[in-house]
Amino acid sequence: MIVALLILHGLLAVALLGAITHQAISVWVPMRGAAGSFVGRMRAVPAKSYVNAIIVLYALTALLGGIIYPTYRLSVRIVLEQMQLYVPNGAFELKEHFVALGLGVLPAYWYFWREPQAAEHARTRAVLTALLAFIVWWGFLVGHVLNNIRGFDL
Amino acid sequence: MITARSQPTFVVTFAVTYAIFYVVSVEYNLALFTYHPALEEFGFLVEKAKDGPAMYWYGWMATSAIAAFVLAALASWVPDGWAKRVWPGWSWVAPLSVMFVFVYILRRFFLR
Repeated sequence: MIVALLILHGLLAVALLGAITHQAISVWVPMRGAAGSFVGRMRAVPAKSYVNAIIVLYALTALLGGIIYPTYRLSVRIVLEQMQLYVPNGAFELKEHFVALGLGVLPAYWYFWREPQAAEHARTRAVLTALLAFIVWWGFLVGHVLNNIRGFDL
Repeated sequence: MITARSQPTFVVTFAVTYAIFYVVSVEYNLALFTYHPALEEFGFLVEKAKDGPAMYWYGWMATSAIAAFVLAALASWVPDGWAKRVWPGWSWVAPLSVMFVFVYILRRFFLR
């Protein structure tokens, strides 16, 4: 059951990573002209269309992470401590706090992205998106490394 | 009651106070409840570890969310003139600053 939830957690994280990355790229380096290339089309996506998906995916991914967290606490973290793997352990501690802080940002993120979008809030929207993108990338990479830590020869 | 006009004040105040309450909750262990994963038991407020470790993360978030909600609801009642002066950027400055605080708090993991 935990393995199934872990895989589902990972799949939701991939979807969230894709959504927030597309939105962040389209906000920070928007496409001005016609989008002909792969990268150009990524920059040209309508950023607003990702907002609800990002909020739902973030909440669901965090919820699933919270459900499987006790197993990590009992089965993985104790081993990391015994093996004195301080950096992966600390990276996960940061992940837990960053994700929690991201949850607190979601209402503001939703508000500043909703219609009608005020021009004076463009920077706030962009930075909130970047902040969430960083948290999601951090969480994804740390989770990925810890999930496969035996293969990292640490 | 949170009206459409008071929403920006509410969301900015919530983002700021949640971040502050969260780091304070972690530092002073002000968890609303404790989870004992080995026993699969919840306990009200902060409890010491029983059989296995105690988890406070859920309790820290609950403390922060409730405190931030109450303060944000109160802040959304301030007159419009004051509310318009609330800089929306605080909604990202506060959590970003708290992220740096956590990097500092947890530096021992990376400096060994």
